[in-house]
Amino acid sequence: MKIKDNVNCLFQHCIQALGEEHPIRVVNALQTLCALIRGVHQKNKSTSGFDIINMLMGFDKAELCMKNLMESLDSLLCAEGSESLKSLCLKLLLCLVTVTDNISQNTILEYVMINSIFEAILQILSHPPSRREHGYDAVVLLALLVNYRKYESVNPYIVKLSIVDDEATLNGMGLVITQALSEYNRQYKDKEEEHQSGFFSALTNMVGSMFIADAPEKISVQTNEAILLALYEAVHLNRNFITVLAQSHPEMGLVTTPVSPTPTTPVTPLGTTPPSSDVIGPVELPLDADVQTSNLLITFLKYSSIVMQDTKDEHRLHSGKLCLIILTCIAEDQYANAFLHDDNMNFRVNLHRMPMRHRKKAADKNLPCRPLVCAVLDLMVEFIVTHMMKEFPMDLYVRCVQVVHKLLCYQKKCRVRLHYTWRELWSALINLLKFLMSNETVLLAKHNIFTLALMIVNLFNMFITYGDTFLPTPSSYDELYYEIIRMHQSFDNLYSMVLRLSTNAGQWKEAASKVTHALVNIRAIINHFNPKIESYAAVNHISQLSEEQVLEVVRANYDTLTLKLQDGLDQYERYSEQHKEAAFFKELVRSISTNVRRNLAFHTLSQEALLKEFSTIS
Amino acid sequence: MGDMVVEPATLKPTSDPTPSPSGNNGGTLLSVITEGVGELSVIDPEVAQKACQEVLEKVKLLHGGVAISSKGTSLELVNGDGVDNEIRCLDDPPAQIREEEDEMGATVASGTAKGARRRRQNNSAKQSWLLRLFESKLFDISMAISYLYNSKEPGVQAYIGNRLFCFRNEDVDFYLPQLLNMYIHMDEDVGDAIKPYIVHRCRQSINFSLQCALLLGAYSSDMHISTQRHSRGTKLRKLILSDELKPAHRKRELPSLSPAPDTGLSPSKRTHQRSKSDATASISLSSNLKRTASNPKVENEDEELSSSTESIDNSFSSPVRLAPEREFIKSLMAIGKRLATLPTKEQKTQRLISELSLLNHKLPARVWLPTAGFDHHVVRVPHTQAVVLNSKDKAPYLIYVEVLECENFDTTSVPARIPENRIRSTRSVENLPECGMTHEQRAGSFSTVPNYDNDDEAWSVDDIGELQVELPEVHTNSCDNISQFSVDSITSQESKEPVFIAAGDIRRRLSEQLAHTPTAFKRDPEDPSAVALKEPWQEKVRRIREGSPYGHLPNWRLLSVIVKCGDDLRQELLAFQVLKQLQSIWEQERVPLWIKPYKILVISADSGMIEPVVNAVSIHQVKKQSQLSLLDYFLQEHGSYTTEAFLSAQRNFVQSCAGYCLVCYLLQVKDRHNGNILLDAEGHIIHIDFGFILSSSPRNLGFETSAFKLTTEFVDVMGGLNGDMFNYYKMLMLQGLIAARKHMDKVVQIVEIMQQGSQLPCFHGSSTIRNLKERFHMSMTEEQLQLLVEQMVDGSMRSITTKLYDGFQYLTNGIM
Repeated sequence: MKIKDNVNCLFQHCIQALGEEHPIRVVNALQTLCALIRGVHQKNKSTSGFDIINMLMGFDKAELCMKNLMESLDSLLCAEGSESLKSLCLKLLLCLVTVTDNISQNTILEYVMINSIFEAILQILSHPPSRREHGYDAVVLLALLVNYRKYESVNPYIVKLSIVDDEATLNGMGLVITQALSEYNRQYKDKEEEHQSGFFSALTNMVGSMFIADAPEKISVQTNEAILLALYEAVHLNRNFITVLAQSHPEMGLVTTPVSPTPTTPVTPLGTTPPSSDVIGPVELPLDADVQTSNLLITFLKYSSIVMQDTKDEHRLHSGKLCLIILTCIAEDQYANAFLHDDNMNFRVNLHRMPMRHRKKAADKNLPCRPLVCAVLDLMVEFIVTHMMKEFPMDLYVRCVQVVHKLLCYQKKCRVRLHYTWRELWSALINLLKFLMSNETVLLAKHNIFTLALMIVNLFNMFITYGDTFLPTPSSYDELYYEIIRMHQSFDNLYSMVLRLSTNAGQWKEAASKVTHALVNIRAIINHFNPKIESYAAVNHISQLSEEQVLEVVRANYDTLTLKLQDGLDQYERYSEQHKEAAFFKELVRSISTNVRRNLAFHTLSQEALLKEFSTIS
Repeated sequence: MGDMVVEPATLKPTSDPTPSPSGNNGGTLLSVITEGVGELSVIDPEVAQKACQEVLEKVKLLHGGVAISSKGTSLELVNGDGVDNEIRCLDDPPAQIREEEDEMGATVASGTAKGARRRRQNNSAKQSWLLRLFESKLFDISMAISYLYNSKEPGVQAYIGNRLFCFRNEDVDFYLPQLLNMYIHMDEDVGDAIKPYIVHRCRQSINFSLQCALLLGAYSSDMHISTQRHSRGTKLRKLILSDELKPAHRKRELPSLSPAPDTGLSPSKRTHQRSKSDATASISLSSNLKRTASNPKVENEDEELSSSTESIDNSFSSPVRLAPEREFIKSLMAIGKRLATLPTKEQKTQRLISELSLLNHKLPARVWLPTAGFDHHVVRVPHTQAVVLNSKDKAPYLIYVEVLECENFDTTSVPARIPENRIRSTRSVENLPECGMTHEQRAGSFSTVPNYDNDDEAWSVDDIGELQVELPEVHTNSCDNISQFSVDSITSQESKEPVFIAAGDIRRRLSEQLAHTPTAFKRDPEDPSAVALKEPWQEKVRRIREGSPYGHLPNWRLLSVIVKCGDDLRQELLAFQVLKQLQSIWEQERVPLWIKPYKILVISADSGMIEPVVNAVSIHQVKKQSQLSLLDYFLQEHGSYTTEAFLSAQRNFVQSCAGYCLVCYLLQVKDRHNGNILLDAEGHIIHIDFGFILSSSPRNLGFETSAFKLTTEFVDVMGGLNGDMFNYYKMLMLQGLIAARKHMDKVVQIVEIMQQGSQLPCFHGSSTIRNLKERFHMSMTEEQLQLLVEQMVDGSMRSITTKLYDGFQYLTNGIM
């Protein structure tokens, strides 16, 4: 009880001190508050949130106390004051937000909800100088605050974030995320090159490759999940943010690093317009011929390609999953789709590909410039091809196929004829089916493989029945048939498997019979053309038909083939976070909180030293 | 500054745009001159008149004879009192109100005027023929320019300087390069005569000010640097840029000086008549509506942005009238310079797009495109549409610019910014309330935020579902939409009746739909502009409008412009003027030759902008993309030989070909490879790039010795050597040459004046003008001319050098 009174008193005095003129007093107050909040929490880990509030401020004064605290922080953050002071304010807030492992159990945040500092965060993001200094902290803080009791109550931060429409702010946020992601990409690339040129890696390839997989992981886990969460929340909640994804800017990682941003003087192209309109950082684009223009989406795709390479680790599995969720949101958005498919916005996206035994590393330089959607599809194909393993990431596969499906739906609806080598996608999907069947027994024990199989078969159905609306050329439709006929064995096997399971009264009866029905057109194609091809071979006395000959038979025999129209091929369930994903996000936020808290301690200390210096000078 | 003081008086004639009722006209005009006596210091009418008479004696021998013989009738009429209306400012349209006002004083006025006239006639017994010519209605701007240039008499020059005010603005604008070049490079007197007019127009129009400043800079650049600094041109340029010539409230300053009852001097007077609609006015009103407080920062920024706007609105003038526009131009040029440093087309394109997206953040602003023909504000540059054009070492690029048309550039406030993602699929053209827009709606559409907040739900519920499906319009009723039908079947009927489709149908639809868009070019990273230029303009406008946050506004327009950095466009401007002059000559003489002069904006001696020819791609691109001969391409695009479409395309081809052959011959246009000849969607050919004309030719390799370029491919399109169309082509050339010869002076004059003080390569040597005149063959009979045309066509046809030059271009530049 005695302690409680003392703590209460100290807390109140600290809050009073925040209003003081002299910065050193404010600094001390902020530091003390940090320590108090941390200390009280650590001592009372098991007690409820209310008790902690009581311990810190006392129930009677808590409301007023926190109101004053938040108001002081808000004015400090918005004022033209010292940068390190602002930084300390953000640290205090981060400290407050992350004291508990489960953010929703942190009852003090209820006051942060009532006394919103949302506007202050936005202001930091919209002003280039403050964004450079504090952007990262502000974005992480925002991402965490948004996740406070997300599903149980009305979170004002969610509401406010969803209606932000100021371009400067959104761009600022996008830039912070881009910088963080591209910094990671850069580090990964450096590491990779280091190892490739390393002497030992050449000798001990095995050990070396293990090392590659290991090394960048350490960087990724700490820095990026929080930023990825912020990206997700922005994309998911705010529809205006979608434009930021396509905002062009020179490759960030090559020009500036988020740690030491070069303070470029903003040059406004139109003299009369306000200087504050320096929205996306350095306007004076560097004259480096090597620099490729990039945007947040490209950076994100590259980042995803790195993260998805290895999903064995739990953290990276989470990251990979979050990446796919973000892609799902993007694939559902109309504006995003519009610029993904924009023929005039061509980019060369160097995705990272896992080094594998059976294929060479593709040369980066000869990639053609294509609409961005091609890069997304490439990424999906890459994922499908590289993750057929014992620890089958079923959930990720389902999401991956869903992304492809959503993109196809858009193309069908808007009649976008993408010049993409669909063949790669088809063969990847067929290989995936093959994998599912060959590992049937192992996989069935853990997953319902029929949902995935059904989705894959329906993707083919989409191509078969609606190909006329989005395929680039008539010959690509022929190729589709060729590919199906060529791989007919896989489809036959799948059919016999689902037939077997749907006739047996088992738990998979219904799921399997759905696949049976979905296969009707593919089977019709196979049954229609195979005899024709055989008779063609017989007539012409050829044992092995060439591709061209098969295509010829296909073209000649379309008219006698009848297909059945299937319902709902171009319909999909929209992504929804509630219920389905709640557990995942809870877990994710918990791990982010722990991480942030761990890193914060270190930062606060160095901050203190810096601040002391600052205050003695002034 | 002396000019400035007397200016009100010199302005008088124009300040009185009133068309006086007939019977009064001659009086007014003459009284202008007499009235000036007491007030003018620069132009003394008595001196002028005396000088005129002196000059007359000389001129009578030269021109007078012609003038009298051809225009004798009208000149005789002038003598009669009753037909004074022959002498009047031709440009003044009758204005109802003015007429009534003047009617009241007409009796008095006409009496005195006639009196004055008679007196003058008595005084100078010898009638001044030159003055009569000047006063006659046949005295047009072309003659004025010619006398201004040729006359050495200060009086005549001063008179014409005065007389400029009487011509229509558009007419004088055409000769602006000539006027300014004379101002820069000719003697004091000509300059003094021109200056008041220039100053006056600068006060009226911001666009005119800009053009003057740019041209003055460009044409002064050939002077030696030391003289340039102190030259008159540089001084006038500084005066314009210093913004002392902003439109002031002249009405309020003037009354003491000008006793005239008419105060139609307000700068808005003329522009007001030009205004297209009053609808924009209400928009400008509502645009002042404050945004809602949903985001305070937007508002702040907006206020800063429009701070200059406010001042203009309030005081009718701004401290930096031209500054935003100059910054705009400067940043476009800077982009061009930076692009030139990048090695590949692909990098250039990407950089261009990202640079323009940055530029977008500063828009809308008080800037405009000088190549456009109406007042507007630039609101957005659809950056993804921009393309880099084909050029070896420089980086010209083509941008599209979204503008909002406005009534008056100066008075209308800059539109509010609408964020990029505010595009709604529902906001397609069909859903636009066209003109029946109510006031509230209009206000709503402009005060952005409240309008869009309302439909947040509509957006978020189902974006994809809302998507407007663009069905090909060609066949909506045929069987092609079974796949579409299936969508309906899901929602409407739950019956288990299976629907069957034939695989053949799907395949057929696919090839049919692709066949319906055969004209689209394939994307080529080495030639990014081909696709962009091939797309029909209307389609592009529709597409960009749908994708633009401003597209829903009724006054939305799309413009395009080529930005050239590192190229001297002064020759292009000269060529434009000559083409324009020829075009109007042929129109006047009813010769159906077709040419397309495209507008040029000279920004400096090494930069400028060009108005692109829409719906046209170069023959090089046509051949490369289609891999067909020109004739086969025509057949593919327009249909077989007998179809209406093909025949009209062929006729267009012949008419344009004949027109450009003449142009090429007269101007000696060189460097005629297929990359410099465009083909438009209607079959016209259009020559571009007049970098080598008159006395200059590329690298002097001796290629292109023929009169013009006429390849067998061209002749094939015309239907072969013996076809009717080929004869028609030759006949058109003959008619065109005869017509051009008749008005040779009008053409030569343009070139001749620009030669003053110029170091352009096209004026290299001393015989440029003489050679040009010779090409009109004034001495030949029509039969001889016909023979000449035959010879030229023959020679060009057989010319081996043309073929050689094409081969040379193919080898060196890859141009087919």
